Amino acid sequence: MTKTLDAAAAATARRRRKPRFDPVRWARGGGLHAVLFAVPVVLVYVYFSWGPVVQGLVLSFQKTNLIQPAEWVGWGNFTYVLSDPGLVQASLNTAYFALLALVFGFPIPIVLAVLINELRKYDTLYNALAYLPAIVPPVAAILLWKFFYDPDATGMFNTALGWIGLGPFPWLNAENSAMPSIVLYATWAGAGSTAIIYIAALSTVRTELYEAAEIDGAGIWRRIWHITLPQLRNVIFVMMLLQLIGTFQIFTEPFLFTGGGPNNATQTILLKIYNYAFVNGDFGAATALSVLLAAFLGLLSVVYYFVTKRWSTTT
Amino acid sequence: MTKLSRRHVLAAGSAGTVAALAGTAACSDPGADGGTEDLDPSADVTISVGDQPTEDKPEELAAFNERVDEFEAANGNITLEPSTEVWEAQTFQAKLAGGTLPTVMGVSLTYSYELIENGQLPDMTPYLEELELLSELNPLALDNVKDSDGNVYTIPTGLFSVGIAYNRSIFEQAGLDPDTPPATWDDVRAFAQQIKANVPGATPYAQMTTNNTGGWMLTTMTYSNGGRIQDDAGTESVMGEATIAALQLLHDMRWVDDTMGREFLYDQEGVRQAFAGGTIGMVLQAPDAYNTLVRDYDFDPAHFGIGQLPQGGAGNNGTLTGGTLKLFDAKATPNQLLAAAKWIKFYEFDKYYDEAVALADAESNAAEGNPVGLPGLPPVSQEIYDRYLGWIEPHINVPLEQFASYTGSTLQLIAEPPAGTQQTYAALDPVVQQILTDEGADIAQAVADATEIVNGIIEQAAR
Repeated sequence: MTKTLDAAAAATARRRRKPRFDPVRWARGGGLHAVLFAVPVVLVYVYFSWGPVVQGLVLSFQKTNLIQPAEWVGWGNFTYVLSDPGLVQASLNTAYFALLALVFGFPIPIVLAVLINELRKYDTLYNALAYLPAIVPPVAAILLWKFFYDPDATGMFNTALGWIGLGPFPWLNAENSAMPSIVLYATWAGAGSTAIIYIAALSTVRTELYEAAEIDGAGIWRRIWHITLPQLRNVIFVMMLLQLIGTFQIFTEPFLFTGGGPNNATQTILLKIYNYAFVNGDFGAATALSVLLAAFLGLLSVVYYFVTKRWSTTT
Repeated sequence: MTKLSRRHVLAAGSAGTVAALAGTAACSDPGADGGTEDLDPSADVTISVGDQPTEDKPEELAAFNERVDEFEAANGNITLEPSTEVWEAQTFQAKLAGGTLPTVMGVSLTYSYELIENGQLPDMTPYLEELELLSELNPLALDNVKDSDGNVYTIPTGLFSVGIAYNRSIFEQAGLDPDTPPATWDDVRAFAQQIKANVPGATPYAQMTTNNTGGWMLTTMTYSNGGRIQDDAGTESVMGEATIAALQLLHDMRWVDDTMGREFLYDQEGVRQAFAGGTIGMVLQAPDAYNTLVRDYDFDPAHFGIGQLPQGGAGNNGTLTGGTLKLFDAKATPNQLLAAAKWIKFYEFDKYYDEAVALADAESNAAEGNPVGLPGLPPVSQEIYDRYLGWIEPHINVPLEQFASYTGSTLQLIAEPPAGTQQTYAALDPVVQQILTDEGADIAQAVADATEIVNGIIEQAAR
């Protein structure tokens, strides 16, 4: 017993007694060259990755149009964007989009993946079909969907719905249907690529589990509920976080579909940032709101991490 | 072959690093700072000039390059570097801030006050005086590009005022006289009802509402009702009855008459496409729409008509002006600014004084299929402009009689709201959208809310 303790103490002492740093030996051993080799990479990373981040932070405390010398304005930009009467609605809209995307857009790829995975035949074909929307460039797809959403009775969706006695709907042209219309598009556009990830994850689920369940008399729903979903849990958690971050940064869709209208119904945080910077030329306000959004998303990620970590361990 | 030793490779890597560092240091040179050297009109100077036509328009490009050569021959000390840079609303602010724009190029006049206020335009008064250009410019246009002390910051060109464009074919089908556009807003409403009754499938009257065009057009309608959005000095928002009346009209046409179709998210490009598709009866536009409609979207010129802006209230209230301004680089040296002003004078104004230049310009445009003789507000005095039109008459390819109501207009020309112009328009977009998409919208409340937002914008702009 004492022997073991002594041995442990000696090991600790050995670990503590670090060899003294010898610069000459370090340089001869190639340390200097290693540093020199790292310098370009570090410089490029600092200049192109961290530079803009720091510059953005600095800009958020300045008034500048990058032509006249910058002026420090303290928290001026932050108080301006926080007192902007449109901020509350933009935040609510963004949250509304995130919620709709979560409720409707999130389960669809999982269902899609499970269904495709259950197929014995032609699964590659369905795979390709599901993924197809992802290869259409978003701008082209959105312009196409704008035609589908034509609010006239002769519009494509309205004509199709007219056959079963529905509509015509105003789609993007009414405050209450504009955001759901955007979510519908975003789900169509995003489901394929997310489903592919789930399908990949599903292929790692061991088939013995299903065989065992089948022997125990479990039907398809019980197999999905008790095997598939728990096995996918970690992927689902990560995808959900990525989707949350993605939805809070939604820009292309409202920018191209509605420009934030009608009556600000699809105005989002990122659209506001864009307008501050590139319509108003107010780079200070734009970076201030960006910093706030980044801080919020950082916080959200941390909270999410701890919450899902607890779920993961308790179930 | 001798193998490269590790030492060689390392040495080369280290040398590369040092070179890269040196390169980075060289790139971070902040560039030439203007205003430090004295003006010397004969000193050698190089400037870049924007708006060079692209390769897909060979005739225009050849004409432009020829003018560049002529200019350089006449001004031995000036070297021009043409650039195809043109103004684009989406990238303009970023490029301006990034300092990648040429020494001089055309930009929408709507930025004028903001650019002056922000110090993004240099004071051009001394150079324009030196070139005796100041006295030649249309004083109405100059009002748009001056500060409160009367200093001139840019040269306005390609001016227009907003009118009402209409589809002559739809007018005929509706039993309306295609030579008589609506003169008042009451006419607009009545005409729209008549179109709705007689031309199924057409949108009798369309309104732009997105990407700041909603605010832009609401401002125009407010002017036509005798009101203003901001006071002349741009210190506060003064929207009132005139704006409310404009919105009330839109509301009634949308919800009572149902004469505005189903699409309420048009911007400039979108509405022009729909108009070119032949489904829109009337829409507020300036004559430059003709250019886009006919050249880009293949609209039949015979169907295009434009009248002066319909008026409300007692009538004869006015219309909003717009156009192009020449953006000079605020960081350019005095010699560069003088050279740039010389170039603009040579390229944009010589045609008004030199018949041969006028003819050559008209010929190259006509050959390229561009409209020649498109009506607009002259950047020079009316007298000189009329003489110029006489010179180019044989090349005029625009059906001028279809512009008669517009060109015969004597409406007062009113400049855009001075403080935070684009932001003000952006703040008004949702107001117009709300009226058109929400039947129960409270117009007075919407205007009151917008007034508060515009006042906030003015405050931020003055900060």
